[in-house]
Amino acid sequence: MSAIPASNTPSASFGGTAESKFALRRIVNSTMFWACALGTLLVVLILVLVAGYLFILGLPGIKWSLFTQDPTGDALNPGGLRHAIVGTAQLLLMASVVGVPMGMLSGVYLSEYSREPGFWGAWLAKPVRFIADVLAGVPSIVIGILGYELLVVPLGNYNGYAGALALAFIIIPIVARTSEEMLRLVPDSYRAGSLALGATKSQTITRVVLPAATGSIVTGVMLALARVAGETAPLLFTALGNRTLTMDPMQPFPSLTVQVYQYVTGPYQAQKQVGWAGILVLIALLLVLNLTIRLVTARAIRSRT
Amino acid sequence: MKHAGDTILAFLSRGAAVVVVLMLGALLAVLFASALPSIKQFGGKFLISSEWRPNEVERPVLDAAGKIRIEDGEVVKETIPPSFGALPVIYGTTMTSFIALLFAVPLGLGAALFIVRVAPGLKIAGPVSFLVEFLASIPSIAYGIWGLFVLAPFLQKHVEPALASVARSTPGLKWLATEAITLNGQTIYKDVPLTGRDLFCGGIILAIMILPVITSVSRDVLKTVPRGQIEGTLALGATWWQSCRAMLKYGRAGLFGAVMLGLARAAGETMAVAMVVGNNNQIVASPFAPAQTMSSLLANEFAEAEKGLHQSALLQVALVLLVMSLAFNMIAQKLVVGKGGRTAASA
Repeated sequence: MSAIPASNTPSASFGGTAESKFALRRIVNSTMFWACALGTLLVVLILVLVAGYLFILGLPGIKWSLFTQDPTGDALNPGGLRHAIVGTAQLLLMASVVGVPMGMLSGVYLSEYSREPGFWGAWLAKPVRFIADVLAGVPSIVIGILGYELLVVPLGNYNGYAGALALAFIIIPIVARTSEEMLRLVPDSYRAGSLALGATKSQTITRVVLPAATGSIVTGVMLALARVAGETAPLLFTALGNRTLTMDPMQPFPSLTVQVYQYVTGPYQAQKQVGWAGILVLIALLLVLNLTIRLVTARAIRSRT
Repeated sequence: MKHAGDTILAFLSRGAAVVVVLMLGALLAVLFASALPSIKQFGGKFLISSEWRPNEVERPVLDAAGKIRIEDGEVVKETIPPSFGALPVIYGTTMTSFIALLFAVPLGLGAALFIVRVAPGLKIAGPVSFLVEFLASIPSIAYGIWGLFVLAPFLQKHVEPALASVARSTPGLKWLATEAITLNGQTIYKDVPLTGRDLFCGGIILAIMILPVITSVSRDVLKTVPRGQIEGTLALGATWWQSCRAMLKYGRAGLFGAVMLGLARAAGETMAVAMVVGNNNQIVASPFAPAQTMSSLLANEFAEAEKGLHQSALLQVALVLLVMSLAFNMIAQKLVVGKGGRTAASA
C-alpha cells in the first residue's frame, strides 16, 4: 500500500539517545496513521450498521398497500401511509411556493446587487449573508415554534399552512446561499456582454445570468427539499399530523415523518412495522435524490470544462 | 430613465433580503414576547432552578424533625404552586453535546485527515466522502428509530453493564453508576438501573449525527492548507503524523469552527435525542440515568402544555436554546467563512 507514509529512517550515526527518540516518533507515527485509518473505517461501519438495521427493520413492512391505503383505525391492521405521503408532498409543494422564490431572490440580491455601492447594495449584503448562514443552523424545533406562534395561535388550530411556513423558513436561507454561490459562478463576461448589447440590469439577470445558472440552482433547491422532507420537529406543533387523507390545509395535516414518529413510539407492533417501512421508503427516496443530483452535477461540470 | 423591470427586480430582491433579516428578528421577538410571563415570574432563577412542576402539588408538611405533622388526626398538607426551572434540561443538553463531541471530534478529525492525506493515493477519497455525506442525509427521525430499536437495547445488554461494573469497582468513579437518594433525612446509594435510554445513548446518537458535519467541514479546511506547508515539513524530516500535526495547527481556527458547527447541531438536534434520552427532568451525575435535553423537552411537552405559565416557560427554554445556537453558529461562521470551509447552509 503506497499510501502508508514512510517515516524517515535515521542513519545509525546519530547515536543511542537519538536512536530511541526516532524509534518513539516512528511508533507514534504509525499508531496515529492506523488510528486515522481505523477511524475512517469506523465511520463507514457506522453508516453500514445504521442503514443495514433500518433496512432489516423496514423490509418486512414494504407492501403495495403502504402506498395505496390510508390508516384503518385498527391497531392490529393499521393500513398504509398514503395519506402521509400525499401530505408530505403537499407540504413540500406549499413550502417551496413560498420558500424557493424568496430564497432565489435573496440569492440574486446577494450576488447581483451586493456589488452596487450604498445601503441597498454592498452595505446590507454582509449582514444578510451572515444571518442567512446563522439561520441555516437554528434548531428546526425552534423554527416550528415560530410557525406555531405565527399561524397556529391566530388561526386557532393546528393546520397545514403553519407546517408549510415552518418548512419554508428552513428552505429560504439554504436556497439563498446556494443560489448566490451558483450565480457567482456565472462569468462576468456574460453580464458585460449583455449590458453592452443594451440590455437593462433586470433583463441581464433574468435572461442571461439566471438561465446560465439554472441547472445548479435547481440542484440547490432539490437538496434543500431533500433536507426538509426528512424534518419532523418543525411539524410537531404546526401541522401536528392527521390519520386521514386531507387536501384542506386549514386542518391538522398529515406528514410521513410525524406519522412514522407516532407509530414507532406507540404501543402497537403492527403500527411500528408500518413506521419502520415508512422510514425505509423515505431514506430510499432521499438516497435516490442525492445520487441523481450528484451524478447530474458531476456530468454537468465535466461537460462544461 | 430607469427601466420599469429594473425597479421591480431590484425591489423584489432587496425585499427578499430584508425578509431574511426579519426572519431572525421575528424569531427573537416572538420567542421573547411569548416567554415574557415566565421571564417576569422567574427571572434569572429560571436558569439555575432544577424544579420542573407543570401542576401544583399537595404534600404533607414536615416538622423540624422531618416527621409528617398530624393535627386532629389528619395529615397537614400544603399546596405548592407550579414551578419551572431549566437547569435539568440545560444540564442534559450540555452533557449529551459533551459526550457527542468527545466521540465525534477525534473520529471526525481522523477521518478528515485520512480523506485528505491518504485516500487520494488509494483513489477512495470520492467514495468515502460520499458515504460520509450520505450519513448526513439520513433524517433525524431515522436515527431516532435506529437508536430506539437497535442502539439502546445493544447498549443496555452489552456495553453499559460492563462500563458500570468497571466504574463501581474503580475507587473514585462510583458516582458514574450509582445515584444518591435522600429519604427521610437518610442518604442511600443505589445502582442506577440500566435502561439503555439515557444520557449516554443520547450522546452516542448525537456523535453519529454530527460526525458528517465535523468530518466534511474539517476536510474542506484541511484541503486549504497550502501544499508548500506540508512539503516543507516533510522536507525538514517530519514523519507523516508530524506533518499532519502541522496541518492541524495551520487550520486550527477553521477546525474549531467545524467543532462549533457540530456543537450547534448537537445542541439543537431534537427527534433522535427525544427518542433515546429517556425523557426525565432530573440531574443525576451518572450518564446511565434517563435525562432530558432542551429540545427533547420542547418536543415532548409543548403540544400538550396548557396556555399560560407552562407554555411560557417552555418558550423561555426555546429562547435559551435559540440564543445558544445563534452564539455557536456565529462563532463557527466567523471562523469557517473565508477560510475555504463551507457554510452552514451547504454543510
